[in-house]
Amino acid sequence: MEDKQTYIFEAERIGYYLLGIHVQHSEKNTYADAMQKLNITLSNYEQSLWKSMLKSKSRMACIDAALALKEPNNNVRRKLFTMLAILEASPNYTTYFLSRNFSPFYIIKIGLVGIRAVFRATIGMFIINSIKRKWN
Amino acid sequence: MELSYDYIVVGSGATGAIAANSLVEAGVNVAVLDVGIEDENYKELIPNKDFISIRKDDKNQHNYFLGKQFEGIPWEATKVGSQLTPPRSFLTQLTEKFIPFESDTFKPMESLAKGGLGGGWGLGCYAFSKPELNAIGLNDSHMDVAYQAVGNLIGISGENDDGAPYSLKNLQNIQPASDLEANLKGLFSSYNKQKDSLNRKGVFLGRSALALLTKAKENRSAVQYKDMDFWSDKDKSAYRSWITIDQLKDKSNFTYHKNCLVLKFKEHALGVDVIVRRTDTNEEQVFTCKKLILAPGVLGTARIVIRSFDYKKEQLPVICNPYCYIPCLQWRMLGKEIEQKKTSLGQLVMYLDEKNDNFDVGMAALFSYRSLLLFKLIKETPLNYADARIIMHYLQSSFTIAGIHHPEKGSATKFIRMQQNTNTLTGDLLTGQYVLSEQEIHINEKREQKIKSALKTLGCQPLKTVYTPHGGSIHYAGTLPFDESGDLFTIHSNGKLAGTKNVFVADGSGFKYLPAKGLTLTLMANAYTVAKNVLKND
Repeated sequence: MEDKQTYIFEAERIGYYLLGIHVQHSEKNTYADAMQKLNITLSNYEQSLWKSMLKSKSRMACIDAALALKEPNNNVRRKLFTMLAILEASPNYTTYFLSRNFSPFYIIKIGLVGIRAVFRATIGMFIINSIKRKWN
Repeated sequence: MELSYDYIVVGSGATGAIAANSLVEAGVNVAVLDVGIEDENYKELIPNKDFISIRKDDKNQHNYFLGKQFEGIPWEATKVGSQLTPPRSFLTQLTEKFIPFESDTFKPMESLAKGGLGGGWGLGCYAFSKPELNAIGLNDSHMDVAYQAVGNLIGISGENDDGAPYSLKNLQNIQPASDLEANLKGLFSSYNKQKDSLNRKGVFLGRSALALLTKAKENRSAVQYKDMDFWSDKDKSAYRSWITIDQLKDKSNFTYHKNCLVLKFKEHALGVDVIVRRTDTNEEQVFTCKKLILAPGVLGTARIVIRSFDYKKEQLPVICNPYCYIPCLQWRMLGKEIEQKKTSLGQLVMYLDEKNDNFDVGMAALFSYRSLLLFKLIKETPLNYADARIIMHYLQSSFTIAGIHHPEKGSATKFIRMQQNTNTLTGDLLTGQYVLSEQEIHINEKREQKIKSALKTLGCQPLKTVYTPHGGSIHYAGTLPFDESGDLFTIHSNGKLAGTKNVFVADGSGFKYLPAKGLTLTLMANAYTVAKNVLKND
């Protein structure tokens, strides 16, 4: 199990990836608490993925996108998913989750996000294949 | 402690509570034996506010939305009961320890909670048709009286529309239906415009009859539309069996014994001994009564009956409605804000009655999605979480979930079996098998296709069909089928267990057929009838 500071660092990176903002201390602490309670253990391969993901927001997005297609139950995704749930269950970030009236043109953004997700998954495939080769 | 009563009822769920209530009303001396687990972790944490206000204000909401141990963040594949939120998780607490069940093909959910599985009931009320009741093995005229008595007790709201013949039937004193939320309003108006062509295909859509108060009744208030139905029962607008148990506790002729896991019974000249394992001390205790009414749920009753008879039957039949759910996208709701005041309950029900005979009817309860939180939907997408959040944030108001139940009857490949097992606290283990034939699967798939097609007609695009393991419907029946022959492991039509003089069964163990429509109201009505028969039998 990692120490609390490591989890706080992870929470900062994941929060920035998920919402594009620096999340508050209260949610980082809740993430650290969750990690201590859930005790998610990573295999060597998953640890390599995780280290790579923590390097930058775009790497995290690409690897997550590729794993969503190839290994949706990979434990690194569980860490991301836990933070996502914590952010949703916080009054500080309700605007990111609660429904609202969107402009009809918002559908264009949805289309672009979909295209970006495919692009990210393609790049992510290369990254995870190169990491996988190291462990095979 | 008093251990001797005129009547002992086992279990406090939907059937136990109604049976006990009927006996107490008749003025006789009644005890309920129950494990009676209650929520000790979350009840006090949840504010008495609506979902949106809580989401915007409560800094501690993660404690109950996600759970103190974060048990409300699901990671494994869909399993039975995964819809249970942390505040509802007590419903299945300790079942693995005290009533273990093992099977690769059958995953039933059981409860040792006060109020039983009724604590998670979706509140759908369906008075079965005459052909359905006769197929189950129940007398329709007796049941109609019982439906009304139970309806008067629990309070039912609904509407006399196209769904009424499948739900309300002849029920009187019905409260007005709850206010229909925007997500389902569009569907309903689309149906009303096209109902002639849909009706010709055997498709009918109606407002759900729900055990939900829309007008205050005794100490229960009318629904407040807080959209916290999966999390809290604070205003008691939804009927839960524990409400009846708590009301009975004020009566001098009623006693509630908690921490009592009933193992078996033994009849003798003066009545019945009820052998109990106390779940707090692990000691055995013996209660005595003149008449015993078993209502711990179908699998619980099977365990008790198998242990009690010297003659051992290799296996008992079991029936459980096949269940799947279909998330759909409703175009007209895209990118719209969901209203603050709503309920999470299924307010519309689609019936597929192709022969127009109210028998073997398929059923789809329709729900919107919000209060179970967006992250669970995001998990189901094949996208990275950040992009999936943006897309699902936009789509969430347009999701409609259709929960499809199929009618079901027994067969040789659907059974339970008790095995000796020294590793369990009770020294035995219930196992089972549940396999549908190719023909049954084919019929169900055809029914699902027709429901999907009707949903499309209403502007609701099905995305995928999610099949839950057998047991996922949480409707179980038929282990001790109704039979007048007197053979062991059957139940007489008056509820008496064959081979006994003073033991009755008030749950669904005798039901030989399960309509797709939810069976809770029928279980309660049958328990009412059995309790009346017990009194007549004196």
